[in-house]
Amino acid sequence: MQATLSRRGRRAGTARRGALGRAIRYLGRYPRLAIGATLALVVATAAQLAVPQLVQNIIDTIVNNAINRAILDIPASFQQLAAERLGLDLTAVEAEVVGAPRVLLMAGLVVVLFSLARGLFTFAQNYLSQVLSQEIAFELRNDIFAKIQRLSFSYHDSNRTGQLMIRATDDVERLRGFIGQGLLLALQAFILLIGTLIILLTSNVRLTLVVLPVLPVAMIVFMLFGAIVQPLFREVQQRLSRVNTILQENLAGLKVVKAFARERDEQAQFKVANDAELEQRIRISRTFSFLFPFIFLVANLGQAAILYFGGRQIVGGTLTLGEWQKFSLYLTFVFIPMGQLGFIISLMAQAAASAGRIFEILDAENDVANKQDAMALETIAGRVTFENVTFRYFDSSEPVLRDIAFAAEPGQTIALLGSTGSGKTTIINLIPRFYDVSEGRVLVDGHDVRDVTLESLRRHIGIVLQETTLFTGTIRENIAFGRPDADDEEIEAAARAAAAHDFIVSFPEGYDTPVGERGSTLSGGQKQRLAIARALLLNPRILILDDSTSSVDLNTEYQIQQALDRLMAGRTSFVIAQRISTVLNADQILVLDQGTVVDRGTHEELLESSPIYAEIYHSQLAEDVEVVG
Amino acid sequence: MFDRSMEILGSDARKARSVGETLKRLWRYFRPYALSLVLVGAFVVAGTYMQVLIPDLTGQAVDCYLGPYAASRLGQETAGGLPAELLAGGTSAAAEADAFSNCWYTTVQPDATGAEVIFGLGLLILLIVGLYVGNAIVSGIQFYVMSVAGYKSLRDIRDEVFGHVQRLSLGYFTRHEAGDVMSRFTNDIDALQQVIGFGLVSVVQGGLLIVWTIYVMLAKSWAFALISLVTLPIMIVITRWLSGEARRAFRRARHEIGAVNADLQENIANVREVQAFSREDENIEQFTAQNAANRDANIRAQTFTSALAPALEALSYISLAVVAVVGGTFILTGQDLMGTALSVGLIITFIGYSQQFNRPVQQIALLWTNIQNAVAGAERIFDLLDEHPDVTDRPGAEAMPLIRGAVAFEGVWAEYNPGEPVLRGIDLEAQPGETVAIVGPTGAGKTTIINLLPRFWDVTAGRVTIDGQDVRDVTRESLRGQIGLVLQDTFLFSDTVLDNIRYGRPEATEEEVVAAAKLAHAHDFIQRLPEGYQTVLGERGSGLSQGQRQLLAIARVALIDPRILILDEATSSVDTRTERQIQAALDALLSGRTSFVIAHRLSTIRSADQVLVLDQGQIIERGTHDSLLAARGFYYDLYMSQFRRQATETEAAGEAFLFTTD
Repeated sequence: MQATLSRRGRRAGTARRGALGRAIRYLGRYPRLAIGATLALVVATAAQLAVPQLVQNIIDTIVNNAINRAILDIPASFQQLAAERLGLDLTAVEAEVVGAPRVLLMAGLVVVLFSLARGLFTFAQNYLSQVLSQEIAFELRNDIFAKIQRLSFSYHDSNRTGQLMIRATDDVERLRGFIGQGLLLALQAFILLIGTLIILLTSNVRLTLVVLPVLPVAMIVFMLFGAIVQPLFREVQQRLSRVNTILQENLAGLKVVKAFARERDEQAQFKVANDAELEQRIRISRTFSFLFPFIFLVANLGQAAILYFGGRQIVGGTLTLGEWQKFSLYLTFVFIPMGQLGFIISLMAQAAASAGRIFEILDAENDVANKQDAMALETIAGRVTFENVTFRYFDSSEPVLRDIAFAAEPGQTIALLGSTGSGKTTIINLIPRFYDVSEGRVLVDGHDVRDVTLESLRRHIGIVLQETTLFTGTIRENIAFGRPDADDEEIEAAARAAAAHDFIVSFPEGYDTPVGERGSTLSGGQKQRLAIARALLLNPRILILDDSTSSVDLNTEYQIQQALDRLMAGRTSFVIAQRISTVLNADQILVLDQGTVVDRGTHEELLESSPIYAEIYHSQLAEDVEVVG
Repeated sequence: MFDRSMEILGSDARKARSVGETLKRLWRYFRPYALSLVLVGAFVVAGTYMQVLIPDLTGQAVDCYLGPYAASRLGQETAGGLPAELLAGGTSAAAEADAFSNCWYTTVQPDATGAEVIFGLGLLILLIVGLYVGNAIVSGIQFYVMSVAGYKSLRDIRDEVFGHVQRLSLGYFTRHEAGDVMSRFTNDIDALQQVIGFGLVSVVQGGLLIVWTIYVMLAKSWAFALISLVTLPIMIVITRWLSGEARRAFRRARHEIGAVNADLQENIANVREVQAFSREDENIEQFTAQNAANRDANIRAQTFTSALAPALEALSYISLAVVAVVGGTFILTGQDLMGTALSVGLIITFIGYSQQFNRPVQQIALLWTNIQNAVAGAERIFDLLDEHPDVTDRPGAEAMPLIRGAVAFEGVWAEYNPGEPVLRGIDLEAQPGETVAIVGPTGAGKTTIINLLPRFWDVTAGRVTIDGQDVRDVTRESLRGQIGLVLQDTFLFSDTVLDNIRYGRPEATEEEVVAAAKLAHAHDFIQRLPEGYQTVLGERGSGLSQGQRQLLAIARVALIDPRILILDEATSSVDTRTERQIQAALDALLSGRTSFVIAHRLSTIRSADQVLVLDQGQIIERGTHDSLLAARGFYYDLYMSQFRRQATETEAAGEAFLFTTD
């Protein structure tokens, strides 16, 4: 058991690393941006490294000329002697002093020039890497969206919207942060670190050796820091989400909270969660309060060491003041990249996890996809045949449907009847191939649905759900959902047939009224009529519907029933029957129980022959028959 | 610095609320932690003092030890063949006076040996190390104390917002989306948090450091200080411009990412319909366009932020060059700079100051957008807090005595939006124990009638009385405690089944809960759940069917044994068996209580003592089912339009949703 676990763990680890590498290879799709950003980085870093050297030049010029001037201040007779003692040529000294202000100015201008170059190229680096990372995020998001749109129902059954959303948003964003900035930052930190160490070593080996031991110590501190802080942040995230959940539930269930007069308890509960979050944040603060000053202290102690040992060297005559100044400037360049590397390592761990989650979606196998040689299903008559269909959601699980066989002739109405879990929904899900059968075949006009393209198959099938979802957009766009090319006349005709035209034109904006999440709210009955119009516009040969109506008044219910009757006329219809009128008018009733068709026939036949049907019929009808009678 | 910042913010604020007012109000939340703030203030001063002192002492290392020693060695070497008098007033003195004259820390004898100089230098550096350590301790404590105070005041704000939201009446939520409130709570408080945690300390300390550094520089040499600060105005101008542009661009980017999220949400949640209508290609195309707009908006926003840091960095290097070149030129030409004799040590000190000064400037500039976001966030939070709860207890309101159950509406008018009455003069009377069925088309005002009883909303005119007592004269808690409510869309909390049932009476024993569940016909299915009554329900009771959720809602109300019952009858989306159970459970619940039912079932209407037919906010007919039918009015039409179906139909077994997997 343990061995299996560890093996699995290892595999997961390699998979994650692979995912990050794969994400990084996305950079290859934008070679110009990637190379441009890298070049800008190299130039910017070089300029950054040059600046202290240039400042040193200025200081050295000042010091040298201060000494030169001191020599020239001595009475003329001794000048020669002093110059000789110092190993200087007097005429050169004089020339140097005269030219000094000019040299100084030039040196200053060079610093300005390098500063501008540094600024410009840093900007270029930032900008190009932003563009690069946005492009990659753009591409990843598109890929994820396209993949999700096409993944079959079975995938969506086991994945929640929220989780998939997070992958397309947070995970992509995290990966973007790493690829776009983390990678370049790492490269920059690396160049800066190596470059600085080389400069330090070449200018003064002994002094460098003084600070060298500080580096691994600092590195370890930074990495420890990342390791300590990450779980703390994860915990704070969890506690925060608890706070938000309470708020969200209190908003959504506001009426319940008020109705049961529970405000005080809810407030108390919220306070507990809120305090728990505070406590965790304070814990993080405590860590930061120690670590930040500590990091700075380490860097500062390095400076102090340089000050002391450099001072000794100056006294010993092996170091000039300018060199010493330069050294301490470069030292900050050692500590900055080390801090960055520590930060990047924690970024990398998160990005790798995100990349893993993203590629999990992109690599998900779609179990319902077009065959290679799938043909388009052209016009059809509407004959639907199930041949010994057995269906399981998972390979090993109990079948939900067993040996279902029936044939629906063009234009027939098939009513599906049975209790929850009897398999009605599964049957209708197999016709548009939302799932594939485990055994047997589903045929439309004699074609196995797996042999034709999904688009052409579904184009012939109209679906009206009990709960209608409207998409953000106008009423017009929602009616034309399945046929975006439909013209206004067609849309209006469909709306009229669905008894929706009247209420649509009663809105000030008519067909252009925005609906959906951010639009105006329609009543359940209005939505249902739009759904009928939407299906009518498709003019499908095969129709699937749930004939129950949601919360509507009696008049609306009547209109909806009439619209449904119009919709079903002349089409092969599969109806999950909620009303007895549907059952009465059906050409065939399939009575389902536990995944099998236990009885079939017309209403009259079944009333005679099927005890299950008779029971369902009577249990529900008795009451209302009495009412009306 | 800060005064100016407020002006900038003020001119940009869209609301009339002034930034000063917002900050003053924010301060109120900090006041309980004033002592912490005083402590932080002291530490900030101490820490800043040390930070200013350190570069000065570093300069002293040059001016007092290294410089004079180097110069005196130069002097000694030169002195070999020189007259004594020259030596006395000569080279070393001259060099010292010119280049290293700013020593105040200690004076070293010109003839000090190398060892003595190193020893002195060592002591000085020990002092510096001590200051570094002290500074680390001080800044650690100060960061900790400040962030604790900040987080605590944020916690207080959160508590207040939560309590306030709970007090707001339903009217507020008909005008505002819950998502908007949620966003204020998360995003806006988050914006504050980002600044308060780390930002505020940085800004305060940075601000002080800037002021102090400027002061010390000015004190040392005002002329040289001005030269060192020459880039500051440019920095301010650039920061203002770039952060202003960035803010506008980010606002746009936020809008675009919101649209991307909405697109994702909608099309993932409804992917089944998308595939049913073969809309994948169109959706992908649409999404790509939206996604591209998001990318471009982000790139634009990032352009401005990308520019800020490099620009400031370049300017800080330039200021170093200016310090070195100008200072050096004055030394070399031997001139005083406006009365100050410049020295190499002074230049090094000023280079240190410049760096020290530039760091907080850069930091504050980079935090600038965050600060502005935080102020905007605080404004939005205060807007929410300023929203008056429409329904409050009257001063001196008394507890509602035990209700018998006589309910009366007397000429009741109600409106959610001023000028748009939803109820127009409703009169009704219900005797204790009666069932009142309310029917009528969508939007007739049925829900509003039942909202008035537990005072979710108040009348605009007329009054609602229970046992002759105006509901506005009693405390809401005592009133609502005696009214049970079963809503059409059952809301359950992500908690155990047990806790959900005893939501209205947390002190109820397990036996009582089971008894209530049995009454509600919920006991059987609860027992079949994996962990029975201890099963934790998912978000909003996911995992249960709609029918099962309704049964739980009935059990929840049964447990509080209310005197008045309000029932928004659910519709036909449950299977026959559950439907029958619900019916039986409701019958048990309704008996003996005054009940108001928004009715969808014929059986409910038939057994009601009174049927009220509501249309456009008025009761247009009232009576019993039979008397209303006999009257052949609106109700008769409603009923007859259904006659064909009602005569022959009933609900057959069915499922809730077409596409839920079974």
